Amino acid sequence: MDLQSYPQPESGKLEQIVSQFLLKILHVILDSRVPSFHRHERSSDLSSVSRVKRSDRWFNLILGDRPAALDNLNFWQRNLMDPMIIDIILVHQGPSSLSTGNVCTTSAVGASTETVIERWAVQYESPRLMAPPTGETSSSYKKTYKKSIILLRSLYSHMRLLPAYRVFRQLSSSSQISNFDIIYKVSSFTDPFSRPEEETMKEYVFVPVEAFRGRLSVSVTYRPTLSCFNLELSTSLPPKIITDYVGSPSIDPMRSFPSSEKGDHATSFSLRGTRPPVSAPFQRPHSWTSGFHKAAPMTQNQPLSGSPPAYRTPPMPCDISSSPTDNYGYRVRPLFHQKATSYDEYQFSPPFSPYASPSPPTPMQTRLRSETAPVTIPLPVSSRSSRYFSPNFSDPNRHSLPPLSPRSTKHDPSSQESPSGNRSYRRAESLRTAELYSGAMNHYSGHKMIKDSKDDSGRFSGLLSSSGSPRVGFSRSSSRLSFQDELDDGDFSCPFDVDDVDASDSLSCLVYLSCTTADYVPVFSLLQCSMNYDVEAMTQNLDGKKASESLSMGTKSQDAAVGVLVHMLRTAPPLRQDPSCYSSHSMRTEVEEGVSTASGFFMPRKTVDALEELRSYREMKDLLLSKSGTRVISREEG
Amino acid sequence: MNCEVCQLKELEVEHFEIREVLRCILHTIVFHRALGLVRPKDIDLELFEITYVQCGDVEVEKKIDDKIEQFISWVEKHPNKKSQICLSFYEVKNKQPSWFTNKIERLYWEQWYVNLNVIQLPKVHSSKSHHSKVVVDPGESTSEERSIRRATLEASLRDVLFQIIKFVNEKKDHVPPISENVMYFPYEITIPRSVPSAFASF
Repeated sequence: MDLQSYPQPESGKLEQIVSQFLLKILHVILDSRVPSFHRHERSSDLSSVSRVKRSDRWFNLILGDRPAALDNLNFWQRNLMDPMIIDIILVHQGPSSLSTGNVCTTSAVGASTETVIERWAVQYESPRLMAPPTGETSSSYKKTYKKSIILLRSLYSHMRLLPAYRVFRQLSSSSQISNFDIIYKVSSFTDPFSRPEEETMKEYVFVPVEAFRGRLSVSVTYRPTLSCFNLELSTSLPPKIITDYVGSPSIDPMRSFPSSEKGDHATSFSLRGTRPPVSAPFQRPHSWTSGFHKAAPMTQNQPLSGSPPAYRTPPMPCDISSSPTDNYGYRVRPLFHQKATSYDEYQFSPPFSPYASPSPPTPMQTRLRSETAPVTIPLPVSSRSSRYFSPNFSDPNRHSLPPLSPRSTKHDPSSQESPSGNRSYRRAESLRTAELYSGAMNHYSGHKMIKDSKDDSGRFSGLLSSSGSPRVGFSRSSSRLSFQDELDDGDFSCPFDVDDVDASDSLSCLVYLSCTTADYVPVFSLLQCSMNYDVEAMTQNLDGKKASESLSMGTKSQDAAVGVLVHMLRTAPPLRQDPSCYSSHSMRTEVEEGVSTASGFFMPRKTVDALEELRSYREMKDLLLSKSGTRVISREEG
Repeated sequence: MNCEVCQLKELEVEHFEIREVLRCILHTIVFHRALGLVRPKDIDLELFEITYVQCGDVEVEKKIDDKIEQFISWVEKHPNKKSQICLSFYEVKNKQPSWFTNKIERLYWEQWYVNLNVIQLPKVHSSKSHHSKVVVDPGESTSEERSIRRATLEASLRDVLFQIIKFVNEKKDHVPPISENVMYFPYEITIPRSVPSAFASF
C-alpha cells in the first residue's frame, strides 16, 4: 500500500494504519479459524495479484475478499484505543473426556458446550503521559508500517502452528461431518478467564510495534491442547443408489416422504451426528457494535453486560429424519456450514432475515408430499453474499411459472394429449436418476440452454437475466426467481444459503432443496418437473422413446397430484430446445468437463450411476407398460 | 547496519525427510522477509502435521527447490554428517567503481543458519553396517521407535518455526526499507562445508 499517496497529515496516516491494522488482523484471524469465513474467502478470485482490491493490499498481505463490513471499523468501535478481543470458541457436544483437573468443560450428552480455545487481544496502546517524540519525520509512519507488515506475517504463520488450526482444518474439510464447530466473538472487553481455565492456557505476546505516540500490541491466550475435547469426525456416507427409495415404481408411489418430528421444520442433514432435533431455530444476536444493541441472550461462557453480544453462527437445524435422508448425507456439510455462518456474515453482507420457522405447507403442497426426494449431489456453496434461500410455501403464485414456449412443447407434443397425470407423475418418478444427471447437465450446459431458450420467449430471457448468472440452468433460475421474493421478504427460513448470482450455488440450492423434508417437497417437485424436460430429452436420445410417456399408474388418487404436476410441466419453461445435442457421450463429456472446470462438483461415477438407474427405471417402465396396457402412448417423436 | 544472525535449533532428520524439512524452514524464513505484496500460500507437509506458508512466488520456489536438490546431492556424498544451510539476505550496494574493482557489493544484513544432522537408520534386518558412523540406537528400527522419532522431529520442527517467528518479531530495526514493486529482499542460499565432527553425537 503506497502510503505516500495519502495526502494526510502524520496523525491521519497513523490513524489509518492503526485502523487498517485492526481490520487486517481481524481478517487474518477469522480467515484462519472460522471455516465459513475461510470458505467465503476462497470463493473470490485468487488468480492474479494485479487484480487485488486496494483494501486487500494493506500490509502487503493479500487475503482475498472480505465482507464489506470489514472495510471499516464502524461496526466495531468508535475509539481506536479500545482493545479488540477476538474469542475463538469451540462449540462441541457430548460428554467430553476430562479429568478432574477441569481442563475442559463438562457437558451432558447431547448438550452443546462452548469453550474459548483462543483469545486474541489487539490494541493500540497510547500512553497519555508519553510526550510526543521530537524529531519524528515522515519516515516514522513508514517504519511503523513496515514493522506492522512483519508482525502480520509472523501472526499469519503463527496461527498455523497453534492447536486450533488443526481443528479449523478438520472443519474446513468438506468430506467429513463433525460434531463440533468454531465460532467467534469480537468485543472490546470481556470477562477474564476463570482461574482453572487460566492455568491451563498459554500466552504468546508478539513484540509490539512502535507507533507514533503509542504502540500496537498483539497477544494470544490459547489452549495448548485440544485433545480433551471429544472432537469427532466421521466420513460422510458414500453415495449409493437406493433401489427402494420413496416413489420408486416398484413400491407404493404414494408413500409419504418421512417427515421429521417437527412437521414444520426442514429436514436437514445433521452435521453433527449426535445432535438431536431442536425444536426451534436458535435466535442469535447479531450485533458487534458496543453500546448500540442491547445484549442478546447468551449462553454460558459469554460475557454479559458491558460487551457486545456474541456474534456467532447459529447451530445447524438438526432435525434428522429417518433413513432416506441418511442416504443423502454425503457432502452436505459445506453447505450447512455455509448456511450457518450466514448469520455471522450478517454484518458483512446485505442483511437477511434471522432464521425462523418455515410456514406450514399449503394443502396443495401437502398433496404433493408424496413426491420423491431425488438423490442429489451436494455441492460446495461458495457464497459471497449469502442469503437465506427459502422455498416459497405460502405464495400461491409460486408454481405459476411462465408457460412453455412453443419450441419446448414441440419436443413434447404428447404432453397435451396423453393423460396429464400419468405422464407428469412418471417424470417425477424417474427424476431421481435424472436429477443426478440433469443437474450436472443443467449446470454445465446451462449456458447453451439459455442461448437456446432466449429466442423462445421474451419472458424467459428476461427471467434469466434477472437471475444474473448466465450459466444458471433455466429450471434453477425459474425456481430461484420464485424464491427471490422470499429472499427479499425474509419470512421464511431455509437451512441453506444460496448465492443467487453464483452458478455453482444455484445447482447446490436446487440440489439441497430436494433433500429437505416433505415440506419442501412441493418445491422440488416443481424443480423435478422442470428438470424432467432434461430427462425427456435425454431419454429421447438414448433410445428414442419418451420415458415419461409410457408409464401408467392408473390409480385415481394419483391423478390429482399428477394433474398438478402436469400443469407445472406445461407451464414450466423449456430447458433445452435441441435434443440432438444430447447423447450419452456428450452428456458424460459435459459432466466430466464440468468436473474439471467446476472444481470437482460432480463425480463422474455418479453420473454413470444415474444413467444406470435411469436405465433400470426405463426397464421398470416398460415392464409396467406391458402389464397395464391401459394408455395409448405416442412414441417416436421427431 | 549490523548483520543479525540466527542459529536455528538442530534437527535430526533422515534422508527422505530432508526435502520437506528444508522447504518448510526456508520458505517460512523467506515469507517473513518477503515484505512486498504477497498472496500467502499455505502448504501442508506430508510427513508432519504442520502447515507452513510460502510467499507464493514461483521464482522463490524454484530457487529453494534447486538448492535443496544440491544439498541432497551433497548429503549423499557426505553421509551422516552435520551440516548447515545458510540463508542470507543482503542489500545491493553499488560500489564506487575504481581501478581495483568494479564489483557490486553485497551488504548482508541477516543470516539464518539451518542446522541439520542427517542420520541414516539401519534397515531392519541388516546384520552389518558399513557405515561406521551410523548414528543410531540399537533397536531404533522398530516402527514404534520410528514413530517416536518422527514425533520428536515434528515437535522440533515446530520449535524451529516458533524460533523463526520469535526472531522475526524481536529483530525488526535492521530490516531495510521496502522497495516498491519488489516482493522480497534479495537473498542467497549457501551450503557451507560440513560442521567438524567434534560435535557429532555417538
